[in-house]
Amino acid sequence: MAENKKRVLEMLAQNKISTDEAYRLLSALESEGSAAEGTPKAGTAARMKSKYLRVCIVPGPEHERGGKGDRVNVRVPMTLIRAGMKFTSLLPPEARDKVNGALREKGIDFDMRNLKPEDMDELLEALSDLEVDVAGTDGETVKVFVE
Amino acid sequence: MKRPPMLMHVKIRGEGRGFGLWLRLFLLLPLALAAFIILSPLILIAILVFWPSGWRKRAPLIFTAAFEVLCSMRGIKVDVQGNHHCIYISAV
Repeated sequence: MAENKKRVLEMLAQNKISTDEAYRLLSALESEGSAAEGTPKAGTAARMKSKYLRVCIVPGPEHERGGKGDRVNVRVPMTLIRAGMKFTSLLPPEARDKVNGALREKGIDFDMRNLKPEDMDELLEALSDLEVDVAGTDGETVKVFVE
Repeated sequence: MKRPPMLMHVKIRGEGRGFGLWLRLFLLLPLALAAFIILSPLILIAILVFWPSGWRKRAPLIFTAAFEVLCSMRGIKVDVQGNHHCIYISAV
């Protein structure tokens, strides 16, 4: 960033660009820099804030009255998901092939070998924005979210 | 510092009857250490048997990852409530 600013100033000194152009370029560089700095910080803050994955299932009123439905409330620490995902990289190649085969049988075309640690971080970061809210016809609700 | 869960709260309620337990998991740590010491010759044999197959590199990573999973269990909560039953498990 500093190099770019220096280059702009050099161009101004060599009269290659006008003062107006230099000002515009410098402001553009500054706004770019602040945006670039702001994004990861915001992402890290969100990641730090989101600690648990919550799954809440509430049965419909009729099911609840009839004693058929159960209320389920599960809280899974995000660190557990992260640690669990790390395990995938330790799978031996033969086991990975078996997992890939089983996934393909279920119609999921996903290669476990493509899952890299940086992808995991990105995936977990994206999970912080996850919110699934399903309302059934009988009034039952399923909520999956990160808090 | 990462540490495994020290307490586990388990509550189970059935038809009219129920019980709640605070499992002191930290009491298991000395037992686990004793078990590890007792089983260490077997572990050593296993390491020697699997040495040529490339598991020597993976084994420490697996142990580290397993410990990390154990430590990450802190804060887990499962709560299932029905009309006649209730199951609650929480690791602290």
